[in-house]
Amino acid sequence: MPKRNNTLRLNLLAMFIAIIILQTSIPLIGYIPIGPLAITIIPTTVVIATVLLGTVDGAIIGGVWGIITFIRAYIWPTSPLATIVFVNPIISVFPRIMIGLVAGWAYVALKKRLKRQSVSISIAAVLGSLTNTVLVLGLIYLFYKSKAPQLYQINMEKLLPYLIGVVGTNGVPEAIFSGIVTPLIATPLDRIIKRRT
Amino acid sequence: MNNFLFGRYLPGNSWIHQMSPQSKLTLSFYFVVVIFFANNLASYGALAALIIVVVLLSGVSITFFLKGIRPLIWLIIFTVSLQILFSAGGHVFWQWGPFSISDLSLINGGYIFIRFLLIIMISTVLTLTTTPLAIADGVQTVLKPLKKIHFPVDTLALMLSIALRFVPTLMDEMGTILNAQRSRGVDFGSGSLKHRVQAAVPLLVPLFTGAINHAENLSTAMEARGFSDSEHRSKYRVYRWQGKDTISWLAFLAVGGLVLWIRKH
Repeated sequence: MPKRNNTLRLNLLAMFIAIIILQTSIPLIGYIPIGPLAITIIPTTVVIATVLLGTVDGAIIGGVWGIITFIRAYIWPTSPLATIVFVNPIISVFPRIMIGLVAGWAYVALKKRLKRQSVSISIAAVLGSLTNTVLVLGLIYLFYKSKAPQLYQINMEKLLPYLIGVVGTNGVPEAIFSGIVTPLIATPLDRIIKRRT
Repeated sequence: MNNFLFGRYLPGNSWIHQMSPQSKLTLSFYFVVVIFFANNLASYGALAALIIVVVLLSGVSITFFLKGIRPLIWLIIFTVSLQILFSAGGHVFWQWGPFSISDLSLINGGYIFIRFLLIIMISTVLTLTTTPLAIADGVQTVLKPLKKIHFPVDTLALMLSIALRFVPTLMDEMGTILNAQRSRGVDFGSGSLKHRVQAAVPLLVPLFTGAINHAENLSTAMEARGFSDSEHRSKYRVYRWQGKDTISWLAFLAVGGLVLWIRKH
């Protein structure tokens, strides 16, 4: 989006934050349960923000999601995974900021080369979603393999394969979902924003 | 509804209600930090006594706290059992494959259970006695020192208050969209991945479109009223540091000191 107007940008960012808060607190629009898995569609929102508002704003929205995850891991955890993993701010916030950055860079690079915009949005969304999964997994591995001081004195070596299994099996359907849905939502919204500005 | 921030505020005029949001926010944070220094029954006891005093001072009936804990109870039990089954060391009572139970793990499990309860209690006190907007104001005051390094604290706080203001609005709109799509025969909550993807799109597009419309209307309205930047904005409500805040801080610091003292001896 061209840098037209600071007030509009501030309000659009605020609306995206509101949607993220909504998605983290209402399961129906934040998570889609498929069998035993619950894949989150919040990375989709982050990528949509990135496509519509730009890379930096996408990273801000991702960061807000990370901070909410971090705080909720203490006061209102959503899953057993959160109480063990997301209490570490580096694991909860950093990967989410990277979703916006990676998706934004991919989108900007692909936009010039590919004719169909929806394809570049789709690839950016898949990359963004995978960034989240890979970074969360990698950081869990790094932090708990090195036996860093941790909140719960759990024997991580035994628990690690289960954790990686849970996050990994969520990651693949999440990436597929992002790849399909993001262009379907971002394309009409892009048209709406362009028409208004 | 699984709601951790909204619709939980209870109006009142108690000691805790009258405290300024910035000190409630920092005290909650401080309390959570102190919890991680507690390591035996005496220190957890001191913290539990403090939280009971806080709950009594908040003037909120205890049933609201129990209601807050109820949806989390299975999760807490699950985490505590993980803690018990997977921790190492101590005198082992029972072992099967990767699982084992020892005296040490049982004690640690009990502490983690108390830890969970204490953290949930303090955060429930915060959200029951403080409106979301007051929390946003508190965040702004707490982050003020960051202005020195040119971090846009005021913009962030304004963004946060707008976001919090529009969460209920967007929630209502989502209800309308859900019903509209249901009346057209869209089935949310069952079916294959493909089916669910198809159901998600007609839900999210109107939601985002509505949000963009709100952003536009609000910017027009703000600019018409002369909004230029968030730094020189005046406030309708001003929260000042009061005697109550000082007294509460002294009490919390005393308990924190006690916990550290118990840890050393």
